[in-house]
Amino acid sequence: MTVAADPMVPPGNPPVVRPGLGLTSLSVEISSRVLSPRAPGWWWIGFGAGLALLLVLAVAVAWLFVNGIGVWGVNIPVAWGLAIAEYVWWIALASGGTIVSALFYLTRSPWRAATNRIAESMLLCAAASAGILPILHLGRPGLFYWLFVYPNTMDLWPQARSPLWWDFIALFCYILMSLMFYYVGLLPDLATVRDLATTRGKQVFYAVLALGWRGSARDWRNHKTVYAIMAAVMTPMVVSVHSIVGLDFAGGLTLGWHSTQFPPYFFFGAVISGTALVIVLTIFVRWGYGLYDLITGYHLNALGKVMLVGSLLLAYAYIWEAWGPFYGGDAAERTEFIDRISGFTAWQYWATIILDVAVPQLLWLPAVRASPTALASIAAGVMVGMWLERFVLVVASLHRNYMPAEWGDYVPTIWDWGIFAGSIGLFLTLFLLLLRFLPAVSLAEMRELIDKAAE
Amino acid sequence: MTRREPFGIVAVFATPGALESAARQLRALGFDSVEACTPYPVEDVGRSLHPGRNVLLPLLVMAAAVVGLAWGYFVQYWDAALDYPIDVGGRPYHSWPAFAVTTVETAALFAVAAAFFGLLASCRLPRLYHPIFEAAGFERASRDRFVLSVAAKDPGFEPNLIRRVLQRHGAERVEEVAGWR
Repeated sequence: MTVAADPMVPPGNPPVVRPGLGLTSLSVEISSRVLSPRAPGWWWIGFGAGLALLLVLAVAVAWLFVNGIGVWGVNIPVAWGLAIAEYVWWIALASGGTIVSALFYLTRSPWRAATNRIAESMLLCAAASAGILPILHLGRPGLFYWLFVYPNTMDLWPQARSPLWWDFIALFCYILMSLMFYYVGLLPDLATVRDLATTRGKQVFYAVLALGWRGSARDWRNHKTVYAIMAAVMTPMVVSVHSIVGLDFAGGLTLGWHSTQFPPYFFFGAVISGTALVIVLTIFVRWGYGLYDLITGYHLNALGKVMLVGSLLLAYAYIWEAWGPFYGGDAAERTEFIDRISGFTAWQYWATIILDVAVPQLLWLPAVRASPTALASIAAGVMVGMWLERFVLVVASLHRNYMPAEWGDYVPTIWDWGIFAGSIGLFLTLFLLLLRFLPAVSLAEMRELIDKAAE
Repeated sequence: MTRREPFGIVAVFATPGALESAARQLRALGFDSVEACTPYPVEDVGRSLHPGRNVLLPLLVMAAAVVGLAWGYFVQYWDAALDYPIDVGGRPYHSWPAFAVTTVETAALFAVAAAFFGLLASCRLPRLYHPIFEAAGFERASRDRFVLSVAAKDPGFEPNLIRRVLQRHGAERVEEVAGWR
């Protein structure tokens, strides 16, 4: 009756599903969280905090629109500040959702079933937070639609050779693809909720969302085919999306940015920080909803290993980032790098190294991967570290460019921080809404696991 | 609204194994309109009810990806080389390496969109009402029960025979269902 027969699970390790879990209890337990008229206390606390921060966003954006981006600390030479650093940060976090859900679908990893819904919800919310930042950073945000390709009376076309435009298209496509991928995975679970709903309003609401899904053998066959294709397309796409963000930088003739390693470097950052947020949210949801039967030590162990791999990849990129300036022999490159690690951004740089490279090495120890507290703390540290990395990356290069005459510092203002807090509020609000009104784990896939375990 | 018409016989099973053996026997007896509704994809059932490979959907996705590839490239070529040429440091207007990235993104978007709408079309969704929803106990087919149906439009439809087969394989409930067209 246990999954120990699975060669993937060595004896003594926690199973993917606890043996007590059955088809009935799984559906009823998960759906009852969605259908319950009362949300738990922690949900209200989180949602309240999210709404409060969203209010901060509204005020900060309103102030920005009234006064222009002069209210931020950005100026020449440091014309890209927190908004761009956070944009990159959020995109990396969003990418983690696709890595966990699409990549590990293709590898047929059994732990993916209980975590992919959380990861994908996180993806969509993080992408929303990421998406608003470059638009706010435009001097004239109302004209952002000029980036779309469409025939217009102004006879304007976007610049197709610019990485910034590639980035816009890539992100636009990525969000749409993620939405469709999410919905396809959600469809059978919406039918479960529909069939368990007891009040008329909820029945109609979920019936419309479920589009009349019946789960016939033909439907399942099409569903499996389509889902596998989507996962196979999404996996390379997530690599490309964050790589293109890297090209935004690599395409600029700026010290520290103009490097061929940027696309993979950025993707490595997505692996570690995206997994970190998945870990934090998984542990949080498991605690909040008490899903200890579904999300076991097996999942945390696996996620911890993915984060460790991300950390090693990132360490590799950091080594090359430091190697380049000294090997290349360009005095300006060297000056910029030495300033980066010992000057204006020194503490942020070294904090990044400690939080993203040194501390995650603890994940080699199985005991650390087995402890939710340790894992969540390391993951939170990784996210802080990645934020600092993006800050150093954006600011250090701009503030020590080629000409000493154009050197300058950057200090974020309260409005920069307001946008940052607000983007977290937007994420938190959206994520908690999805968590409240949609099943938190993929029920159809969990049933397959339970079925396999019962054999 | 038109009148209620017989939809067929619907049986509810407790295990996928029982459903599978019943389905196999019904198929062997020559019934073509046998369909199973299960809470998760049960491979054996799928294989015995719908043998053969699913070729149409992958082909559709492939075709959409090719169209997306062509469209993504053409739009950029039209933009940068034909309708709005800008000289940037003497670079060629038709600079294909710069177009490659968004071309691939467009192809992927077209592929995923084709997969999404292809799924809906091949499952005939959205369809908020289906006669099988009238069957008692069908609501459990989305969580812990396995439902088998034989449609009345089947040329050799024989209610009594079907009923006996279903009961012999341990159906919890067998019912003749009528529904709105």
